[in-house]
Amino acid sequence: EKETFSCWWKPGSDGGLPNNYTLFYSKDSEEKIYECPDYLTSGPNSCYFNKNHTNPWTTYIITVMATNEIGSNSSDPQHVDVTSIVQPDAPVNLSLETNTSANMSYLWAKWSPPPLVDASFNSHVYHYELRLKPEEKEEWETVSVGMQTRYEVTSLQAGVKYIVQVRCMLDLGEWSEWSSERSVQIPKERLPPEKPRIIKCRSPEKETFTCWWKPAVDGGLSTNHTLLYSKEGEEKVYECPDYKTAGPNSCYFDKKHTSFWTIYNITVRATNEMGSNVSDPHYVDVTYIVQPDPPVNITLELKMSIKRKPYLVLTWSPPPLADVRSGWLTLEYELRLKPEEGEEWETIFVGQQTQYRTFSLYPGKRYIVQIHCKPDHHGLWSEWSPEMYIDIPTDFRVKDMVVWIIVGVLSSLVCLIMSWIMIMKGYRMMAFILPPVPGPKIKGIDTHLLETGKSEELLSALGCHGFPPTSDCEELLIEYLEVEDSEDQQLMPSHDTPSKNTKITLKETDSDSGRGSCDSPSLLPVKCKESHSIPSVLQTQDVRAKEKKGGKGIWETQCMASEQKTQPCNSESIKSCTWLAAQLPSNQAAMFAYHSTVEAFKITLNTTNVNTSPVFVGNEENRQSLYPIAETVYDDVEKISEMEYSRTDQTTVQVRKNQQNDKSPFLNPKLMDYVEVHKVRQDEEPTLLLKHKENTGKTEKCTVPGTSKEYTKVSTVVDHHILVLLPDQRNQNTPVSQEPVAETSQNPQQSQAEKNTSYSTTAPSNSRRDTSGSDYMDPSSFMPSFK
Amino acid sequence: PSLTPSDGAALALLWMLLCAPGDAGCHPLTVADLFDRVIRHSGRIHSLSTALYEKHFPPRDNELGRPARKCHTSGMLTPNGKEYAQKIPREELTHLILKLLQAWKEPLSHFNQHIEHHQQLPDDSLSKAKEISNMVHELKTGVEKVTEKMQSMGIISNSLNGMASSEGTGLSISNEANMMSDSDFIHCFRRDSNKVQSYLKILKCRIMPENSC
Repeated sequence: EKETFSCWWKPGSDGGLPNNYTLFYSKDSEEKIYECPDYLTSGPNSCYFNKNHTNPWTTYIITVMATNEIGSNSSDPQHVDVTSIVQPDAPVNLSLETNTSANMSYLWAKWSPPPLVDASFNSHVYHYELRLKPEEKEEWETVSVGMQTRYEVTSLQAGVKYIVQVRCMLDLGEWSEWSSERSVQIPKERLPPEKPRIIKCRSPEKETFTCWWKPAVDGGLSTNHTLLYSKEGEEKVYECPDYKTAGPNSCYFDKKHTSFWTIYNITVRATNEMGSNVSDPHYVDVTYIVQPDPPVNITLELKMSIKRKPYLVLTWSPPPLADVRSGWLTLEYELRLKPEEGEEWETIFVGQQTQYRTFSLYPGKRYIVQIHCKPDHHGLWSEWSPEMYIDIPTDFRVKDMVVWIIVGVLSSLVCLIMSWIMIMKGYRMMAFILPPVPGPKIKGIDTHLLETGKSEELLSALGCHGFPPTSDCEELLIEYLEVEDSEDQQLMPSHDTPSKNTKITLKETDSDSGRGSCDSPSLLPVKCKESHSIPSVLQTQDVRAKEKKGGKGIWETQCMASEQKTQPCNSESIKSCTWLAAQLPSNQAAMFAYHSTVEAFKITLNTTNVNTSPVFVGNEENRQSLYPIAETVYDDVEKISEMEYSRTDQTTVQVRKNQQNDKSPFLNPKLMDYVEVHKVRQDEEPTLLLKHKENTGKTEKCTVPGTSKEYTKVSTVVDHHILVLLPDQRNQNTPVSQEPVAETSQNPQQSQAEKNTSYSTTAPSNSRRDTSGSDYMDPSSFMPSFK
Repeated sequence: PSLTPSDGAALALLWMLLCAPGDAGCHPLTVADLFDRVIRHSGRIHSLSTALYEKHFPPRDNELGRPARKCHTSGMLTPNGKEYAQKIPREELTHLILKLLQAWKEPLSHFNQHIEHHQQLPDDSLSKAKEISNMVHELKTGVEKVTEKMQSMGIISNSLNGMASSEGTGLSISNEANMMSDSDFIHCFRRDSNKVQSYLKILKCRIMPENSC
């Protein structure tokens, strides 16, 4: 009010100590400094200057000093002109009035100036300012009013609520605060109603119908709606007979007012104070607006068909309002069902019947069923009936279950038993199912040994204990036998010295078997050598074999076995046995040196093989090749020769048939009965010639060899390079037999020297070798341990 | 649902099978069967006309009330509600049905000629429209047969006077029909076919209430 004023100061930082504030002022025209008269009236940190101290015409210079124990500080001086700091209170008693005329609304605002303490100073002239805004808006519209205390606002929107405030100012001072708010609602425009709109018309049973409309937007005024209709071909306009039955904003036409095959022209009129408005006409033929209610009395019944399949029987009734009995309204039904967790409905059109059977149901599921209907001609489908649930029982026969359980248990039992049996007798079963491929059934021969190439062990396995044969084998060593013509005869020349006979000069090995050399089955197929004597020799062999210990028997059997196995040359094979078993002539106990049974095989093979020719005697290096041959001897003599051919080895010694000086490499098996061993000279390659047996009188292949003595029986090969041949027992001549002995006796020296050379040479050449010289070599001569 | 000409032929044959109860080796159709057949036939006619109407002369909702939509059969006094249809005597109802069918005979044939020249319709609709007149003719024949049967069975009386008048009015009415536009024509026909169907149904259930009514 420009008569008093107050100053407020803001303390600075107090430095932690209590401060004392004092305000000093001076007037611009004076020098004197005064202190604030009143610190209290205006609150803390203030100074109140009352009327006596207030001079509107002077400028005050005011400073505030803050003092504490340490020191003091004062503010900058403030020049204050009372006039300019005047801020009156806000105006009061703001009132608003609206006036609407001719679609315009006016707002009158009236207020009072701020009250003064002292009414005498009502000479103050205030300036006023007014601001208003719509309630929802943020921005104020400010209007300068001047000095009046009333104002008229014109630019107002109808239907909007406004908020109004005023404030005032004194001359040059500050504006007061805004007065408190006042709000006013501008009334809406008064308009005639908008157009209503007819939503739909429906007949539930083809006897009555109802129309619904959407009311018009009213201008705040109460609006009245009326429905009017006219029928096709008539001029008269009727009003809705019933506004109530069907609810608000609807019109219900009862039976009397419903005509079919007639087009209704329906309109709705909205009326208010300002006017009315009519909706667009809606044409409707009741025949085609029929939308029935959903069917009722839906029953679901589960039945079992003959095949124990469940099927569902649904029955329902038409909605109660529909008069189907008169034939006036014919309904068609449609049902839908789905499993509870399914997503898609299966919809089935049923037609006019009111019951249905469905078979396509999965047991164990829960189905939802719904039905709806529509008039048989153009119309609308009803709503779906409420969901009905039905559980399909799982189609389980107890009997089926039991059967399956039994089957399962039995099969599992069977499986268990089978597996148990398999485990227990697995190998036997395997053997039964997959019989093992028979290996070489050479008793005493360990295939392993053959493969490993340890002659000693092999030979020991053959029964050749020690190599050269030791005394143990002497038993097996068979001396020369005198072979007679008849096979029946058994040679017993050296029987008296069974030990000799059975002696076999074999290197003593560590092998376990006590079999003699003669045991070696390889010896068996040694060429049917030769002559008639051979069988007898063989037989003696057998006899001897019997005398032998241990392994004899085996050999014997093998001998016999070979007899059977070989083809025409049975006798030959026998011969071979005997030959093998035969003792060397003369005093010496023929020591059999076995090179390898296989090799012996070979030789025998050649003799026995009717169609083959060369005999390969492989040396040690070629065990592998020999081995299979040996095997095959048993089986197929012919094949062996073939194999031999195919396995041309370097070290094989071809035994060629000696066809009377014909050094053809091929033997004539038919004619060939034996092997003639030629003396091995030092510088000659040892060869074995198959001596052609000239049995003019005898066409038999396997004729017992005559008296010619030839060493055609290869007993064995010693030390990998010595071929041990036995003399041909046909030759009874001891000198003959001796001869080879003598020969052979030389041989050791030769053999040793020649071993490598001879055989080494033969190895690469693979050519025939002629054994020259003696018919056989005395194995014992080769043996260092020979006696 | 469209009806092939063969169906019509079959239906025609059907009428031949009607025979007097006394004939041996004859399987007489009962009145109920006959009614079912004519009702179905009329239903098919109505469906056809509805299809034609909706496809080629579709009603825009507010144009239904177009002025001058007046059918040539509007002058006929027909019951326009269930009660009325149930109240009027059977003979009259039967007579009405026949009258209606008769009233459309000529206009339909004219309409056939008319639309052929117009070529506004696609072929299938054209064939449909042609079918309708055949079917109406068959339906009329069928209803006549039913009427005869009913009369023979004493269900309705033998009043033929109504028939004569229908012939006369038919001629005058058909002249009006020629003035109608195609859209109105189809609209009116559709309605009348529905009328016929409904009347037949009502009639059937009045005569034989137990048979699927």
